[in-house]
Amino acid sequence: MRQQYARRTQVLVGVMGFIALAIIVQMTRIQNSAEADVFRQQAANYAYELRTFFPNRGEIYDRNGRLLAGNRTVYEIGVDLNTVKDPHAIAYAVSTELGMDYNQIIDVIQNPPEGLSYIVIADFIEAQQALNLQELKKVLQEQAPQGSLGGLTGLQFKSHPQRSYPEDALASNIIGFVNREGRGYYGIEEKYDTLLAGNPVQVLVPTDPNKAFEIPRVPDGTTLILTINRDLQAAAEQILDESLLEYGAQGGTIVVMDPRNGELLANAATRRMDLNQFWNYGAIYDNASEFNPAISKPYEPGSVTKIFTMAAALDSGSVTPGTTYLDTGSILVGGAVIQNWNQEPWGVQDMTGCLQHSLNVCMATISTKMGAGTFYNYMDNFGFGHLTGVDMAGEAAGRLKIPGDEDWYPVDLGTNSFGQGLTATPLQIMMAASSIVNHGRTVIPHALYAMVRDGRQYNVPAQFAGTPISAQTADTLSGMLTVSLETEGSLALVPGYRVAGKTGTAQIPVNGFYDNTKTNASFIGWGPVDDPQFMIYVWLERPSISIWGSETAAPVFGKMAEKTVILLDIPPDLIRQKLVAK
Amino acid sequence: MNIPNVNHYIHAYKVAPWRIQRQWIGNALLAVVALAMVATVYLNITSRAAIAGREIQDLTYSIAVSQQVSGDLQTQLASLTSASAMENRARALGFRPIEPDEVEYLVVPGYSAPQPYILSSAPQLQLRALTISPEFNQSLLDWLDEKISTSRGAR
Repeated sequence: MRQQYARRTQVLVGVMGFIALAIIVQMTRIQNSAEADVFRQQAANYAYELRTFFPNRGEIYDRNGRLLAGNRTVYEIGVDLNTVKDPHAIAYAVSTELGMDYNQIIDVIQNPPEGLSYIVIADFIEAQQALNLQELKKVLQEQAPQGSLGGLTGLQFKSHPQRSYPEDALASNIIGFVNREGRGYYGIEEKYDTLLAGNPVQVLVPTDPNKAFEIPRVPDGTTLILTINRDLQAAAEQILDESLLEYGAQGGTIVVMDPRNGELLANAATRRMDLNQFWNYGAIYDNASEFNPAISKPYEPGSVTKIFTMAAALDSGSVTPGTTYLDTGSILVGGAVIQNWNQEPWGVQDMTGCLQHSLNVCMATISTKMGAGTFYNYMDNFGFGHLTGVDMAGEAAGRLKIPGDEDWYPVDLGTNSFGQGLTATPLQIMMAASSIVNHGRTVIPHALYAMVRDGRQYNVPAQFAGTPISAQTADTLSGMLTVSLETEGSLALVPGYRVAGKTGTAQIPVNGFYDNTKTNASFIGWGPVDDPQFMIYVWLERPSISIWGSETAAPVFGKMAEKTVILLDIPPDLIRQKLVAK
Repeated sequence: MNIPNVNHYIHAYKVAPWRIQRQWIGNALLAVVALAMVATVYLNITSRAAIAGREIQDLTYSIAVSQQVSGDLQTQLASLTSASAMENRARALGFRPIEPDEVEYLVVPGYSAPQPYILSSAPQLQLRALTISPEFNQSLLDWLDEKISTSRGAR
């Protein structure tokens, strides 16, 4: 009996063992069969999916944290051709909501390009419109009989960010814009396009939840904080618009900079565009230089350049503030007669008088006294003919002809000394003038205050380009410019604040000849003189009420300076000096 | 009863075939129970890891959606407080821009002029998945696979 049990047990063990062995053999055979490779390949195909990420383009803020460029969600609306139930319903719903052509939509759905299973019907659709369609799709699905599909089955919505500018046209010339392909044009958007980034990226994402940690992290673009003060920018644009009307000018520019560190606080241009409607660019601008003339439209600045001629003469020891000369009203330079702006003699003048009365003959006299080598060396060191390096796209270098150039003539030494025959942008002149404020050092203007990435903020330090003049020359010249303004009783003066500055009236060359009736009126000034906190440049193109910078650009400077001291909380000199004394 | 007989019985008891069979069966069952326990723990951990992974996937998506919504709201807020909107609201409330001669400067002890905006917060310590020890995110099969690969590589 016991033997019988033992045999039965052995048979049972044998059978079980055989079955187990068969299972193992079969498993091994299946694992190594030809079909297994196919299944493995299929599994591999589903292990990862190609997904498009839309990282947010970096935001742009003003220096006080006000958003100038952000992102908002828009929708791509498409159709999954494999799941479409009723193309007519989709075409009707989409055409009604989005105002598109019904026939066009139905044609795209019914005759799609070969090989496509998904087609885009519309993109950059407002969130509200997409939401309405989504609601309609949901309602139709709920109303469909049990087990069947709704009429808008197959209609798909994909959200993605789009650039948005909450301030519309404010500071448009500084910010630039982004097109629908995500590329930045002009200004900050173009200059820092790579940093701001935020372009769609296609990456493989693991579908296996155990590999969730492998989900790639697509970083958003770097956020930028500008040196611009939004309120000051708005004030500059308003004052510029009013000035154009008041003086009948065809265009203009106002730039406000902190001369101590090169931070641009405001930069107003005549033509501005609503950046949310960038497609209007062609209708607003005739050429690219009009987008931001302060950096990209060089012009003959006229008498504001006398500051630099005087600086060169003082620094080279050619003159001192007390040096006098007899102004006869004209001087012959390189075979051409140079005259004063009023074509009158001004008698004996010292160097402060030269600046105060803006005498061309005086400037031509001291430039010829310095000689071409010295004069052009100083002008080159001031940055004329060179890019400033400002961090906005589209900068132009202007032109400074020097001896040896094919088109340089000896008369240019005379005309260049008072700002004719050379071209420069307002920002180039401001950069050059910053040397007078900074005890001889020129500061590079910039619009970027800081960038923020991964929770860290990197502030941009001030950069200095060189030292074209000594500190003593700078301080002496600043004093001369202050006195000349005050003595002249300039319209640029600001009650309660001492400011220094210089007007400029430059004739505009038309068909190779200067037209006496068409001028560029300019003014550059800074203050408070003993502790300069702002530098303002005003350029009015072809003012018709008066051709003179002293009657047009100078009062605009005054208005802008008055607004600037309020918005920047700069107390009047007396109060500030009392505060400092404490 | 003498002592040799007792020892004989004890020896016979110890070598009894049924007792040896029971010992074998017991050991086999113990092995099966141990394997079952390992399998249970493995299944439990794997399923929890899979659920956690799926939650991570969902949360990653939620973060992306939240960031989009946040960006939307931020832009809407900026539009509502834009320079032109604020000026219009101020004018509607009866305010007007101040004239330069109306400004009075008062010395306020301790007042400091506004400084440029600081946007960044202190960087937060983030637990990165890749810094977690493999014991916490590696499946048994992954571990076996790694060991086999390592031993192959060592050869």
